[in-house]
Parts: sequence; C-alpha cells; structure tokens
Amino acid sequence: MVFITLIVVFEMIAYVATTPRPSEQFFQLYVLGSNGRAAGYYPNNDTYISPNETVSWYLGTTNFMGNVQLVDVRVKLGNQTINPPNDTQGLPSPAPLITEFQRFTQDNETWEFPFVWRVTNAGLVNNTMHILTVEINGETFQVVDCSARSGYNFRLIFELWTWDTNTDAFQFGWETSGEHPVAWLQIWFNMTTSTPFQYA
Amino acid sequence: MRSPPRILVFTIAVMLILVAVHSNTSTYLRADEIQPQFNQAITQVRLAESAGATQSEITELVTTLNKALELDGQAVKLRSPNDTQQRADLLARVNVMLNEVQTNASVLETVASQRTRTNTVLAYVYGGVAAAVGTFAYAVLFAFYRRYRIKRTFQMKVTVK
Repeated sequence: MVFITLIVVFEMIAYVATTPRPSEQFFQLYVLGSNGRAAGYYPNNDTYISPNETVSWYLGTTNFMGNVQLVDVRVKLGNQTINPPNDTQGLPSPAPLITEFQRFTQDNETWEFPFVWRVTNAGLVNNTMHILTVEINGETFQVVDCSARSGYNFRLIFELWTWDTNTDAFQFGWETSGEHPVAWLQIWFNMTTSTPFQYA
Repeated sequence: MRSPPRILVFTIAVMLILVAVHSNTSTYLRADEIQPQFNQAITQVRLAESAGATQSEITELVTTLNKALELDGQAVKLRSPNDTQQRADLLARVNVMLNEVQTNASVLETVASQRTRTNTVLAYVYGGVAAAVGTFAYAVLFAFYRRYRIKRTFQMKVTVK
C-alpha cells in the first residue's frame, strides 16, 4: 500500500517535470526615445520637426511565441486621414510602406535596433506639406503620396509581421490558439518648412 | 485608320500601372525569392525545437539563418545588370547556408528527440526507484519504531497505588 502510494506520487512528479507546460504566445513591440527610455521622442521635446532634422529612436520586439520566428517590422508613413491598422479585423494600414526590418528571433529573445530618421525632401504647396523622401538608418527611401494639411499630424506607423509557414508568406500579426492578434505602434509628428515644393 | 477600342487601351494602361507598381515595390518582395528554402529551414528548426533542442543549440541555427537573411537582403539590392554575377554568388551562398541549417536542424531533431525520450524514461524509472527506496525506508523506520515501542513497553514499571 505504501509502495503504491509512493509510486503514484513520484510518477506524477516525473510526468509534471517532463511535460512542457503550455504558455501564452505573444509578441512585444516597442519604440523608445533617443535615450533608450519611453521619453524624449522628439528633438528638444518639440513635435514640430524640420526637414533634415535627425530623430533617434529605438525599435524593439520580443518573441514570446515559444519557438523561432521570422519577424518583419514594417515602417509606414501616414497622415491624419489614412486608416491605421485594424485590430479587430487584423488588417494592416493602407499607408505607404517606407521600409522594413527582418530578423529571425528565438523564444524569449529581444531584438532592439536603432531607428534614426529624417525627412530629406519635403515641400509646401497650396498649404499642404508633401514628404517626398525619408532617410532611415542612412538609407534614403522614396515616399509615395504622403501629404498633410499645413504639415500637421503625420505619423510613422510600425507594424509587426511574422512569417506564416502554412501560407509561405508574411502575415500581419501572428496566429495563436485560433486567434490572430496584431501589434502595431504609431508616433505622430508635425512637419514644418518654409521651403517651396521641390521634386527630388 | 480606326483607333483601338477603349477597352484595349484601358487594359494596357492598367497592365502598365501594375508593372510600374510592382517594379516600385519589388524591394519589399524579398520573401518571394527566399520563400521555399527559408520556409523549409524555419519548419525544420521548429521541429528540432519541439523535439527538445536547447536554446544554445538553436542559437547556432538562428545565427546562420540571420546571416543568410542578411546576404539575401544584399542580393536583392543588386539590381544592375552588371551585378548579376555578384547577386548569383550571394544567392548561392544563401542557398548553401539554408541547406546547412536544414541538415543541422534535422540531425539536431534526431539527437534532441532521443535525448528527450531518454530523459523521460529515466524520469519515470527514477520515480519507481524513489518509490522503492521510500518504501524500504518506511519499512526500516517502521520496524525500528515497533522495536522501540516494544522495548519501551517491557521497560515499563508497574506500581500499585
């Protein structure tokens, strides 16, 4: 009787020790300011940014999915009227894509990298500010049709995409337990310039 | 001469726009080029992980995958006809690296699977051994306790009040 009791207890301990426990699967996406903290996002704490004014942020993502993931952080430039990503329907923003950053990340791994950007070409026409080129981490990107009235309320949108091995393609967000959560962030800014509109 | 029908002009215009849009956004279609090999590599690495491979073992594979991803990114940026050879060389290196990852991940899956099975069996065996040792210890202690009680019983002094 003692042996049976002990064997049940010890085998239960062995079962618990050898069976992996299911954990919540999710990603973390964040943007930090120039000092690596959740502050100081704008030069001189002024949301009005001039052309060629450099802005330094840190982008980061942490993988809590329990396995290796191919992560794709997409950077989009939007204005006040364009739709942000839709959380309930899991749809990305239709804002124009500027660039993307891809990397394989392990479980519990945080991938953080500097995101240094500046608007290199912008101009005002009919009281509407047009952003034409943006430099990100030393590389210049063309912007397709992004403008804002008087330069107010531009925003950089960061979307987290992951590789879906079932569809062989990137998907916005990720699949977990039959759900499709998404992660995205946006940071607003205003663009001021006195220079006339110029094509690059 | 009769002018072409409007629908034909419209169709050609739409096709030209689509081609233009595609050429503008092709920088971001890296996944299409890497799709099959990268997909197989990820799948194989995940199989190794689920088989019980350790974090340090997976780190080696992920490091190689990130190098392959970086080289692939460099290859995609080479668009000039003069860069065709360099681009082909880079993609060949990516292909070799991904094949290496798949092979290593496959071996790792087998090793990790055997290790996990062994550990599981050992855990249950140890459970049985622990139960046997526990039972023996209980029997020994119980025997000592009985002897002690008997001894104490015979050491009792009967006093008449």
